[in-house]
Amino acid sequence: MASPLISTAVVGHEFGPYDVTIPVERARAYAAAIGGDESPDYGNHLAPVMVVAAALTELINELGLFSGGLQAVHAGQEVSWERRIEIGEKVDASGRLVSNSVRRGNHFATIAVSYTDAGRTEVGTSSTTIIVTGEQSQ
Amino acid sequence: MNQGKSERAVGYALIGFERLVTQDRVNAYADASGDHNPIHLDEAYAAATQFGTRIAHGMLSLALVTEMLAIEFPNTWHSGGKLKVRFTAPIIPGESVTTYGEITAIDEIHDGKRILRVATCIVGCKKPDGTDAVSGRATVPLE
Repeated sequence: MASPLISTAVVGHEFGPYDVTIPVERARAYAAAIGGDESPDYGNHLAPVMVVAAALTELINELGLFSGGLQAVHAGQEVSWERRIEIGEKVDASGRLVSNSVRRGNHFATIAVSYTDAGRTEVGTSSTTIIVTGEQSQ
Repeated sequence: MNQGKSERAVGYALIGFERLVTQDRVNAYADASGDHNPIHLDEAYAAATQFGTRIAHGMLSLALVTEMLAIEFPNTWHSGGKLKVRFTAPIIPGESVTTYGEITAIDEIHDGKRILRVATCIVGCKKPDGTDAVSGRATVPLE
């Protein structure tokens, strides 16, 4: 069985670009998951962190974080956002592995992601730190 | 006591909220994010993990914190806001969590065209036992 990418990727490895356009049904699911009586009316816009979550899902899958007995913990997250994003608006996410160290058998990996709109203008950034345990990651 | 939003100053407490994180919410978040990892959804699978049970997505707890920021700063959080957090404990479905925040500094920043007032806030989300599920710092332009 091939090693998951988290075990072999080196700093500088690039991920994506992923299409993280959020359709209306996923925006509705987000509202059902997070919303409450005090929630703001987003209108036809999205909470940016939802776009970040969609990119993170793509990264998890590509890194193989839950394959072959690995267990991953989301340890840290940074997000910055420049403007509102509409439901259904085209957004691409491009990631880069900025650190990937092994300490006591655990991977500590940080992936930086840039989000761009249809005009290739950056609309946001994020940085995700994960800790991965499991024999195949050692 | 909170001041009005137009009078925010250092020490201003953001208006947090309590949310019961049900498994239904976790399931909905899986559909929203596309993250259907069994550690969030499959009790039998999750029982064999380090947590011993299903846990909510870390990004769900972060989303609750950003919801608070969107309520508090409706015109600026999504356009110039920044956040840096650590996930320190998982939320177990069935737990009620409470978001919190406080302005710890207000700085004037020159962006080349104008002077922006930017608030720095400690933010987080507490579990029923008072421990943080997520905690960190946000910066948000003030109107």
